[in-house]
Amino acid sequence: MKYLEIQNNQLHNIDEITFLVPDEFQESVRNLMITGSRMIALTAIDRADPKKIMAAFLNSVDSTIQIIGGEFANSNLEFESWANEFPQTNYFECELAEQFGFVPQNHPWLRPVRKQNYILNNKPYEFYKINGDEIHEVAVGPIHAGVIEPGHFRFQCHGELVYNLEINLGYQHRGVEKLFLQSSDSQRITLAESITGDTTIGHTFAHCSAVESLTKTQVPLRAEIIRTVSLELERIAMHLSGLGGIANDIGFALPSASYGRLRTLVINSLAALCGSRFGRGLMIYGGVRYDFNQPIVEKILQNLLIIQKDIKEINEYLFSTVGALARLEETGNVSSELAKQVGIVGLAARAAGLDEDIRIHFPFSAYKFHGISTFHLSTGDVFARARLRALEIDESIRIVLDLVQNISTGEIKNNQGKFSDNSFTISITEGWRGEIVHICFTNKNQNFSQYKIKDPSFNNWYGLSLALRNTAISDFPLCNKSFDLSYAGHDL
Amino acid sequence: MNQSLKIRLLQGDPIIHDIRNANVSELFHGLPKIEDKECLSGCTACSNVCPTNAITLNPVKIDLGKCVFCPLCEEACPEKIIHFTTNYKLVSADRKSLIIDKTTKQISPEVASEKIRKYFGKSLKLRQVSAGGCNGCELELNACSNVNFDLGRYGIEFVASPRHADGIVITGPLTKHMSLANQICYDAVPNPKVIILFGACAISGGVFQNSTETEREFLSKNKIDLFVPGCPPHPLTFINGLLDWLDRK
Repeated sequence: MKYLEIQNNQLHNIDEITFLVPDEFQESVRNLMITGSRMIALTAIDRADPKKIMAAFLNSVDSTIQIIGGEFANSNLEFESWANEFPQTNYFECELAEQFGFVPQNHPWLRPVRKQNYILNNKPYEFYKINGDEIHEVAVGPIHAGVIEPGHFRFQCHGELVYNLEINLGYQHRGVEKLFLQSSDSQRITLAESITGDTTIGHTFAHCSAVESLTKTQVPLRAEIIRTVSLELERIAMHLSGLGGIANDIGFALPSASYGRLRTLVINSLAALCGSRFGRGLMIYGGVRYDFNQPIVEKILQNLLIIQKDIKEINEYLFSTVGALARLEETGNVSSELAKQVGIVGLAARAAGLDEDIRIHFPFSAYKFHGISTFHLSTGDVFARARLRALEIDESIRIVLDLVQNISTGEIKNNQGKFSDNSFTISITEGWRGEIVHICFTNKNQNFSQYKIKDPSFNNWYGLSLALRNTAISDFPLCNKSFDLSYAGHDL
Repeated sequence: MNQSLKIRLLQGDPIIHDIRNANVSELFHGLPKIEDKECLSGCTACSNVCPTNAITLNPVKIDLGKCVFCPLCEEACPEKIIHFTTNYKLVSADRKSLIIDKTTKQISPEVASEKIRKYFGKSLKLRQVSAGGCNGCELELNACSNVNFDLGRYGIEFVASPRHADGIVITGPLTKHMSLANQICYDAVPNPKVIILFGACAISGGVFQNSTETEREFLSKNKIDLFVPGCPPHPLTFINGLLDWLDRK
């Protein structure tokens, strides 16, 4: 088993990767997954010439990132699929097939990831369909009833009960990865901020860290803390929004409105720091653009203390109301085994009892020296995902209060160095949904040859579709909101 | 019951009463002010750093339909000619008036036609279409209806079905993959109807101007009623723009 072990945000030369012949590559990847590693990327290393590919894995137990390279002949991009044995690779293989024309042999269910009018074996792709008496199909979207992003959902139902849900995305595809290769420095940051607008900080953080590794730029400590604080503020804001959405979907207006009010306080704190309610314009290569000062720190403290006080009451109200619990508990279950098998990440994984948190296992930025607690619940239902949000908000508030009151003095920005050639880096951050992976390759001319992004939604949409099995179709909006996944982050 | 009353009391009075004169963060980037000064000879610093090619030179003009309000130009200018103010009133009914120069003091939309005001002046129901929106614009549109901004008090609301709508609000750069759905949605809205473009992506493609995955023909085929600049636009920008346009107090 030949693989390269690296750390989060470490700079490596591409030549350090051994590119194996297809059979060996297939075998090594399989052996690595037997040891419990989870796939985070399967991608060509050069967008223009996709015959060299890289498979990247995380092993949370010993906190390593593992990389296996493979080299294919131009005329033969076939390999034996792993997905029958390891369902976690299913979607990654579909993506590789769609983007670069690779052919995973014996793949259980090759389907479109972002393309429309997908042709498979010379036939247009057809949705999975169940036939039988009293089986009916429900099609929803791409445009949905609320102010949300587009996606298409195909349910196979028997009465109220969902037997299968197929999620068809790609409506938001803007060609983000391709644009990264063509853009200037200032464009790239704006682009990173727009991968998903609800995780602006998470993605921009990952992007800046990747570029800083490739340019050997040291980020000042004070800037690291400001970045970490803003990442946690984003987490608090979006968890509040998620809780508000869940309360709204069960028709519980008062908590919904209250969580919404508290979210405004958090995003206005971000606006006090950088002018934008989503933290746009805050991050630059080498640090941050805006510094803390006394009024800003006081504003953040003041807002968080209100939230800390009020949220206790609101949580107690939501989580002790019998009618609410009846809707939340044992709805949309994802068992721990299933979550592990299909490679669910982040909040949804922790709600199903998995120990997945980049901040703990692959610490970056201020998490390297600042301790943080992570929580696991075991039931994997809507209740667990809602409750976990409440717990994580408490912990995030604690960290932010701690960090802003004990921040070190100093610079907030260092100058950016020069890009290393023929190199790559993997940068992972823990956004509010889960792990955000940015992988960046440079060629001999120090230009980007490939930029690969994996939003946590890429893993978790599959989790949502499995959560719906044997659930009443009327619970779909609630299940969907409890995962709260990104369409734009998936579609790129 | 006690608990619910307690929470209602905690809620207090969160609504922004005077939405026409509400304050935003001091660092908010709103309408840029372009000083009446000469550029250094041959200087292209601001247009070089602009991520969305919003700036043209000699004289300096900024296209707010492209601008993402990132302040890179303000930082780059050696003569400090560009300065972002906190003025969030940016909405216009005329695409051309979004291109501002040193003479621009403010932007206010022309009042809508009598017909539109007669039909929609007191009640405007909108259907939102996200066509590649990153969820930034969507979150801000949702925020318009929260307890702070409460757009509903003006009779303006988002509805689920295009059949119930008086117009559509488009976010995102109009991806190829959403082009058919967007057209179907627009066709389903009964006449008379309006089109509002929300955010830099919808107005100009924004940071996705050079993407090969967009299909923006819909915008040239139809008359656009209102442009809402920003990345994403602030709820106050949208609400005040709508009220000005509908000639409401």
